[in-house]
Amino acid sequence: MKAILRNKWSYLAFGALLILLAIVPFTPRLDDYTMLMTFIAINTMVTVGLCLLMGYTGQVSLGQTAFYGIGAYVSAILSKTYGVNPWLAMLIAAAATGVFAYVIGFPIFRLRGNYLAMATLGLVLVVYVLFRELGEYTGGPDGMAGIPYLSIGGLAFKSRLAKYFLVWFFCLAILLVSQNIIRSRTGRALRAIHGSEPAAESVGIDLSRYKIKIFVLSAVYASIAGSLFVHTLRSVNPQPFGFMASVMIVTMAVVGGLASIWGALFGTAVVRILSNEVLLRFGGLDIIIYGVILMIVMILVPQGLFVGLRDTYERWRLKRTRKGAVT
Amino acid sequence: MSSSILETKGLYKAFGGLTAVDKVDLSVESGKITSVIGPNGAGKTTLFNLIAGVYMPTSGEVLFEGKPLGKTPPYRRAALGIARTFQNVLLFDNMTALENVMTGQHPRSRYGFFEAALRLPKAHREEETISLAAKRYLNLVGLGMYADRNPLSLPLGQQKLLTVARALATEPKLLLLDEPGAGLNALEKQSLSELIRRIRDMGITIVLVEHDMDLVMGIAEWVIVLDSGQKIAEGTASQIQRDKKVIAAYLGDEEAVE
Repeated sequence: MKAILRNKWSYLAFGALLILLAIVPFTPRLDDYTMLMTFIAINTMVTVGLCLLMGYTGQVSLGQTAFYGIGAYVSAILSKTYGVNPWLAMLIAAAATGVFAYVIGFPIFRLRGNYLAMATLGLVLVVYVLFRELGEYTGGPDGMAGIPYLSIGGLAFKSRLAKYFLVWFFCLAILLVSQNIIRSRTGRALRAIHGSEPAAESVGIDLSRYKIKIFVLSAVYASIAGSLFVHTLRSVNPQPFGFMASVMIVTMAVVGGLASIWGALFGTAVVRILSNEVLLRFGGLDIIIYGVILMIVMILVPQGLFVGLRDTYERWRLKRTRKGAVT
Repeated sequence: MSSSILETKGLYKAFGGLTAVDKVDLSVESGKITSVIGPNGAGKTTLFNLIAGVYMPTSGEVLFEGKPLGKTPPYRRAALGIARTFQNVLLFDNMTALENVMTGQHPRSRYGFFEAALRLPKAHREEETISLAAKRYLNLVGLGMYADRNPLSLPLGQQKLLTVARALATEPKLLLLDEPGAGLNALEKQSLSELIRRIRDMGITIVLVEHDMDLVMGIAEWVIVLDSGQKIAEGTASQIQRDKKVIAAYLGDEEAVE
């Protein structure tokens, strides 16, 4: 029953999302949010990877923005400085990030829990410093501008609308692929690792292989997001890839619900809309407000808003049908 | 003995200065129910972990089907046909009961990330086989009607049966049961005994570590007694019950308690 409900909910979520995506850019007043929605899609690709890693496999990572940044900078440098086709640059960036994650995965997954969190956080700090200090390639703290758009057959993804659909195409693909992985042999293996490592090993699951694989996948997601970010914005600087950005990504994932793909999207949207529409007015105080939100969610709905709302609805409906059965 | 599926030769494990398993030679006959008994701290669970590959021996070796296992990690031993349950249950609480058993099919299926991500026909086909097999094992232990329940919502007795189903789903040749009877009531113990016999009748060799003497004496066809890490006796249940050394080390205490 629960498995069916989960399916029903994800079809519902997917349908609702498609309708919303079709409506927003063509409805007056709502179309102001097209650009915001584009950024939600970009952030979602990063948080979905984090959900797979943290929510499903139980491996804490504060390092996703490092991969996001590597994707962004590799794409930017290859396409701007070396004139590589942006699509190819994006592909190379994803492959390079994947290989990088694979290589650091071996030492990093000897660690667990808080130590793993610290190591991945260290990764963010190191990569951030490199972006700032390798000015010759990265443009230093000022970054780079004039990065080429992605284009198909001479048509560049230049307009707000074109970028919106381009980015959402990738985001939906990543959401679907992730959903498929979770409901598979691989997904069960990942959840088993979260549930109990000794038990997972006892049923033939190679722990480090699966941890590294999902780490690489989440890194590739982040890299694709980073590439799309620079090719739509046309400029890049180190700021969106630092420690604060890392905290934001974790906040998004936790607010939505770590153990749910749709929660990643939901949480990203909530935090992004809050930060763009509300928290801007609070200036430097926004960091405090993120912290408070994070705390409230962790205390009241530790499974995240998406799962929390879903379960509340299901409980309410169950209660109603039970009452109906009695009378 | 005719054919032994599992042997240990001079198996020795020390943790720092503490010897847990002391040069144990044993041989487990294929297709039989063998029980390892011994007082607390006798090294039973360490022996289990050495066989399952959780610990590597300080010296000596474990042979499975005549081949030394060496440093083979636990997950690969599962693929070779060694399955186990745990004293402290260790179910996956983030999945349904059925999904728990489905994870057991891991070493018997192949498809990976790529096929899963794109939902290729291979994934569909294998997934069908996996879920059919899992349902079969869930029914075998009598939990068919709880397929969609969270495992932690089941009483302990059923949780233990669920771990047996999960282990069986790996389609083992050798099943290691670590104190399956602990915490069960008399009725549950009886159905557990029946289940263990039924599994034996499927051709699966069973080794169980157990404290409960009634359970052991009722089903074990061969009993190995450990004390302070050493094998002090082995034989049929009735031979063991008459063995003076065993009575002194273990059964004597048990009788005194009763």
